[in-house]
This record gives sequence, structure tokens and C-alpha cells, in this order.
Amino acid sequence: MGGLGTPSGPVLACGEVRTRLLPTSDAVDERTAERLLRLRTDERVRLSRHPNRYAVSPGLLTGVDCRPPSVNGASSRVVGTVTARAVLVEGRVLQSSAHFSAPASGPDRRRPWGHYLGRPGCLIPVGRLPARSVAEGFLAGPGPHELDVGSIAESLMARVCRHRILDFDLPLTTVNTSLRWTAVPAVEGEATSVLFTKADDGLRTVALRLPHGTAPAAVAGLCEDLALHDWLLTTVAYALDGLPAGHEDSGLPKVLRSLVDHLLHLWMPRGHVDRTLHAVWEELDEHTGYSRQWNVMGQRIRDQLVLRAVRSRHQPSAWD
Amino acid sequence: MLVLAASDKGGTGRSVTAANLAYQRSLDGDDVCFLDFDFGSPTASAVFDLPDAVVGADGRGLHSYLQGRTSEPLRIDVWARTEHPALRDRPSGSGRLVLLPGDRTGGEFPFAEADRHRFVDLVLRLRHEFDLLFVDLSAGRSYAADLVLAATSPHGGLGRQGNRWLVFHRWTRQHVMAAAELAYGNAGLVRAGAAMGHRPEVLSGSIRFVRAAAPDLESPPWSQVSPAQYVWLRQCEQVLEELAAARGICKARVLASIPLEPVLQWQERLITDEDVHDHGIAHHETLRAMRDLAQRLTDDEFWGPW
Repeated sequence: MGGLGTPSGPVLACGEVRTRLLPTSDAVDERTAERLLRLRTDERVRLSRHPNRYAVSPGLLTGVDCRPPSVNGASSRVVGTVTARAVLVEGRVLQSSAHFSAPASGPDRRRPWGHYLGRPGCLIPVGRLPARSVAEGFLAGPGPHELDVGSIAESLMARVCRHRILDFDLPLTTVNTSLRWTAVPAVEGEATSVLFTKADDGLRTVALRLPHGTAPAAVAGLCEDLALHDWLLTTVAYALDGLPAGHEDSGLPKVLRSLVDHLLHLWMPRGHVDRTLHAVWEELDEHTGYSRQWNVMGQRIRDQLVLRAVRSRHQPSAWD
Repeated sequence: MLVLAASDKGGTGRSVTAANLAYQRSLDGDDVCFLDFDFGSPTASAVFDLPDAVVGADGRGLHSYLQGRTSEPLRIDVWARTEHPALRDRPSGSGRLVLLPGDRTGGEFPFAEADRHRFVDLVLRLRHEFDLLFVDLSAGRSYAADLVLAATSPHGGLGRQGNRWLVFHRWTRQHVMAAAELAYGNAGLVRAGAAMGHRPEVLSGSIRFVRAAAPDLESPPWSQVSPAQYVWLRQCEQVLEELAAARGICKARVLASIPLEPVLQWQERLITDEDVHDHGIAHHETLRAMRDLAQRLTDDEFWGPW
């Protein structure tokens, strides 16, 4: 199948990304990352070392035949497979990501499975797809008996987290985030656009309008990158929120150390994003000031460390 | 850390004390999650003063989640949703306090293997976000208790998580015997756990007792009763201590005694600083006992292989 909006291609792509700290006391090495993400025996874990260490599991398909989410209760039915994968960044942050794409219409009757298996990651409607309603419904979250892509991502996350080598001795508490995204082709002549919103409980939604021909897998990659950086910002901001200013007698708060040890080096926007989609990140960053905020927070942490180091040098030691 | 609150009988102050412990730890800056597994009679939402929030729990509560009817159990941010006047202004430096309510309808149910997996996945997921997870279990060797025992056994998925059991009981003959039976009896936690693969000495070392509504004879009003009453109370106290020790509840295994608190007799609620210092309705000793107990949960000095 072609890219978004091409004649034979999908008119809609939707997905969800869940992001967590890998539940171990320390980052894991490349070999362990490979063991963790080896979800299928017939396909290798993809490893990349530049610009940062990045491991991607083989894709897993989940067969579905159900109602897609919708805002107006329009009844429709989709059949096919949702594709999911797990990603480990620098052996430290774990993501699970599930997505599907869907064409505007499909056969009026349900076909045998073979028909759907030939197009992995694609949900084919029985009849016409109310694309707009599905896109809006998807971002609002599934109702009862509707397709729940988040639960597919979550079960993959749970599967990786059950691995015996994970000690669950987490260096700091974090916020688990879910990022739901939809992508539709931009109207001819219209620029690409991105609408990012944050809700309670770590839920984020991203509505994208992208150039014709954009591959759904590339969009999923972009959204994993957005989810990772949003999670980093959320986690560091949460850790710094309400952190008392260093008093004369206070030592180094454990949380500052944990941030330096585990998170500050992970900021690498667009590190593994398709070049054609770099503009989306830049547009988002310009509006939200994510990079600026990250730099300021990083600088604040380093300043705190320096101040505390200076103070501890000037404090009389117990031997004086 | 997973803190499992159990009791043999109802009315032991298990839910209300566990909720108070969660509140105290959250005030201290810990991120705390409270899971209401009291499937017979969920009360945590009343203790946290969340009358509206639980209405939405039907079909989205912990029962529904464990039985696979919803993929995301409802979460309620206590600080944001409570109607308790003293809790509405979340103190700076406090941690998260989140309640996962049970469904309002739906009592005890036998659990299947898939339910255990869902429980394990839920706990592992919450471990990322919270320093402490409280699980409030229904009274007795309930299905919920069995589910938790199976999940925390060495091969159950949560065997390496550092789990601690609190057995709540009132300070009376019947309650002491029932609590000892729940922990060490033929159908008790240790024996049942051993059958599920727990090492009995390890499981036993992770069980501590909490005496609820225990009168302190050295402070009013008990210290001001008539001499004859005082002598009689002393004798009862002595007999109870001996009974408890004989049944395996020696002093080292008692993590705390929560004094008899009139406020809690009338209303299951959180005891706040304001209740003690501004309104003067609750005793300072109660608040102190709750705070001490909250600290002891993670103090290894109080836990061991005995």
C-alpha cells in the first residue's frame, strides 16, 4: 500500500505510543536490549548506535474485526491487523507503539483472512470508512466494544516488562504517558500542521496533516519521537516541581542525581525520524518551546549541582 | 513497595487506617496509589471523601479491570477531586495520591489465571509511577487475598517486589485469635502462601500486625478511671498480651497500636493536622501513631525474618 492520500493508499493513520522508564536500576547494554526486544524468532531486533543507541523490536500483528471508534456513533466495521513494536532508547526508556492505517473504502462484504493478512498494519473497512469521525473518535478514546489500540500497545509493554531480567528497582518515580495520534493527508496546497494537546493522567493527543505520500510507518516513528521527548520533559519537570532550593545544610537530593544519571543525555529530537517529517517537529518546537524548556531545566540542574558542590567545599568538615 | 492490608474480620479499621497511611506518606512527598480491593464493601472512596468520583467507577473499577472488561481501571486523583476541606489545597512538596476504586456493584468473585496476570501487569505498571502501592483487601481469606498471594509468590510475577502484609485487628480476645488464625492458622496466609510456592519463613517475616482501636491505659480517659476499673483493665491487658504471644503475635511482630479514636468511631475519615491542632476534634496520639506507622512501613528495622 502507498503513502497517505495516494490513489491506492490510506486516507487515515492512527496510533498510540506508551512511554516508560525501563524498570531496572540501571540502563541495560545492547545485548540485553536485544534479548528484551526479541519478540519473534523469525525476525531480528534492529539496533542503531547513532545518533544514540536505539533498539527496535520486530513488528507484531494483532488481528481485529470490530467497530472503529467514532464521535457520532456511526456504525462501521473494520477488519485487518494492527501492527505494534517496542523501542528501547539508550537502554533506558521503553516505548511500545501500535498503529494502523485505513483506506477510504473496502469491499462491501467481509473477505477471508488471507485478504487482510496480505496488508499488514492495515484495517480495511467493510464498505465506506467515516474517516473524519473515526479520527476524532480515536483521539477521544475508545468506547465500549470499539477498537482499543492503546490496549494493544499496553499488552506489548506488559509483555516486555514481565521479562525476568528486569529488577523493578526504579531510580525515580515517573509519569507513564500515552500519546494518541492521527494523521490525514493535507489538502492540496495546504501546509502540514500539527495539533498537540495534553490531558490529565499523562494522556497526549496529536492530530497531524501531512504531505501526500507520507508512509504510515514514518508517521509512527515521528510520534514515537514526540512521545519520548514529551515524556522526558514531563518527567524532569515533575521531578523538579517543588524541589526545595538548596539550603546550607542540605545534601544533594537523590532526584537530581537520578536525573543526571539516567535522563539528561537522552534529548535527541528527530534522532530516528524520517527526514521528510523533520519540519513537523520544528513547527511543534517553535510553538511549544520544548527545546528551550529542556535546555533551561538541564542548566538549572547543573547549576544546582555546582552550587551544592561549592557549598560543600566551604563548609567546615567534621574534623576541624 | 506493595503494602497489603488484610484483616480477619470487618470493623477492624483496616480501610480507614490504610487510607490514613497512604495520606501520610503522600504528605511526606511519596507518590502513593491506593487500590480498593475490598470487593465486598468498597469504602476507600468514602474515607478520601470522593462521593462524586466513584459514581463513574461502575464498569471501570478494579473488578471490571481484573475480569478483563476494561483495559484501563479508573484512576482518581485524590488531591484534585476530594471534597475534604483540609485536603483541597495540596501542600507543596507532597506526592501524588491516587485511588483506584472498586466497582460499586459486584462483590467477591473467584479469580482465574488471567485475572492474576492482569493484576501483575497493573502493579508493574503502577510501580513506575508510585513509591508505595496500598492494596486494601476484603476481610478474611478472601478471593482477593488469594489472588494477591498467588501474584506475589516467587513465580507469580511480583515475587521480587518487596511486599509487606499488615494484618489489622482490634484489641479483644476474639479479634486477636482471629488475626493469628488469618496469619498462621491452617487456612491462613502463610500456609496458603506456602502451597502457592512462597517460602513460609519469608512470607511470615513480611507479615506484621496492627492493633486498631487499642485503648492506651496510660493516657486519658483510661488512666482516669476508678482504681478497681484500672486494675481490671490492666489484668485484661496482661491476659491479652499473653494470648497474643501464645498465638504467634509477639511484640516484635506488632508494628503499631492505633489508639481508640472517637472521631474514627463516628466517621471513617482521614485524620489531618487541622483535626488535631485547629479543631481539636482528634487526638494528637492518633495522628502520631498513624505517622509512626506510615514511616515503619519502609523501615527495615521493623521487618525481618522472625
